[in-house]
Amino acid sequence: MERVFTPLDCLLPAGNLKFCLLILNQPFNKGHFHCLWSKAALRACVDGGANHLYHITEGSQESFLPDYISGDFDSIQPEVKEYYKAKGCELIETMDQDFTDFTKCLQILQKKIEEKSLQIDIIVTLGGLGGRFDQIMASVETLFHATNITPFPVIVIQECSLIYLLQPGKHELRVDTGLEGAWCGLIPVGNPCDSVTTTGLKWNLTNQVLKFGTLVSTSNTYDNSGIVTIETDKPLLWTMAIKT
Amino acid sequence: MERVFTPLDCLLPAGNLKFCLLILNQPFNKGHFHCLWSKAALRACVDGGANHLYHITEGSQESFLPDYISGDFDSIQPEVKEYYKAKGCELIETMDQDFTDFTKCLQILQKKIEEKSLQIDIIVTLGGLGGRFDQIMASVETLFHATNITPFPVIVIQECSLIYLLQPGKHELRVDTGLEGAWCGLIPVGNPCDSVTTTGLKWNLRFFHHKLQMRVVGITYFIWRFSYPSYKVTMLHPHVLCRI
Repeated sequence: MERVFTPLDCLLPAGNLKFCLLILNQPFNKGHFHCLWSKAALRACVDGGANHLYHITEGSQESFLPDYISGDFDSIQPEVKEYYKAKGCELIETMDQDFTDFTKCLQILQKKIEEKSLQIDIIVTLGGLGGRFDQIMASVETLFHATNITPFPVIVIQECSLIYLLQPGKHELRVDTGLEGAWCGLIPVGNPCDSVTTTGLKWNLTNQVLKFGTLVSTSNTYDNSGIVTIETDKPLLWTMAIKT
Repeated sequence: MERVFTPLDCLLPAGNLKFCLLILNQPFNKGHFHCLWSKAALRACVDGGANHLYHITEGSQESFLPDYISGDFDSIQPEVKEYYKAKGCELIETMDQDFTDFTKCLQILQKKIEEKSLQIDIIVTLGGLGGRFDQIMASVETLFHATNITPFPVIVIQECSLIYLLQPGKHELRVDTGLEGAWCGLIPVGNPCDSVTTTGLKWNLRFFHHKLQMRVVGITYFIWRFSYPSYKVTMLHPHVLCRI
């Protein structure tokens, strides 16, 4: 069954998709933040993500209170933690060292979506693609775990980049919101893909092997159709540019 | 045969390793730059890396001329290109669309190392771990290609992160320069690793460690912190090791 999806719909003021928002511990684009915050059904911070939320909403933090903040709290600033605690935000300490704060926050989010019977389409994560290299890779790792945590697609956005893990099968991505930047790519991170076929790209693939050391699709771009289709036999990471 | 290596030796003013320096199109730490530039046997810029070189050496660009600048020249600013051209720097246009500018620059570098019979130990790359997500992945991809291009280890450094691809076999990394930061990691990017064993880390891995048997899931990921003075890391499949 083909999954049809518009990755940047969440950044359109009049976009259709309903989503929850997770904020990670990285600087983020103010425009993206405000658009996502205003439309999100539920909003959470992962540990030091609360620091960024606090500072980017300076002067009006009260109007931007997260539903919860979770993590091992080794990054959140004490005054930030105290502020949100005093304002009644739920603080959930997650000490499990086998999973990252991001993965654990996703587990909590899924529980809350079920408890509140929220009707949503995707989960949007702000931050996670910059800074420490190991933490960028950890964000990718969480996308692998996400398939066992939540049925909803999870996308990660930071500055000009978006990533989304495509499961084996067929996918149709609508890339005609007007917010798409020039580049896109298909990254066989974690495992080679023996057969990938695409349409809608400048450099399409036909039953191609994608594998680190052989071929990785980076700096690709679109034809003018506004639709990209991807068929893959293994999990494959889609990445694309966002106009800033 | 075990490879013994001190990844951060190149950043020690009195370090022993001889290296060549490649500069990619990303902002970089001024301290790192000056230390690496002063000790490098050969220095090159990859396309827009020349922009960063030009600006970071403002006022004394003449004292920091690269041996060559290569790429498809779609990122280098016209005035920067003209400046280095007028100063006699070699400009090498590489139009092959199957490989990234970074990979092609490495091919040129290896040729020059052979032509000049340079005695070097490693190749150090500055930049490549920030900005566009597809280009971060392209840097990792180049490390995979590097094994077919040059016999020398290639490391990539940006801000607080370093990455280095460990080939199958045993490796010993000395991490006692004093420049090591708190974190490190082993990332099975590109393929699962069936058997990894380490010593010297806070959370070591052993043969048949259960987490690494999750091939279908894809990446497994850990963060370790150093706690011992001498370190031995043994790998059996390509990994990407990262820390500064």
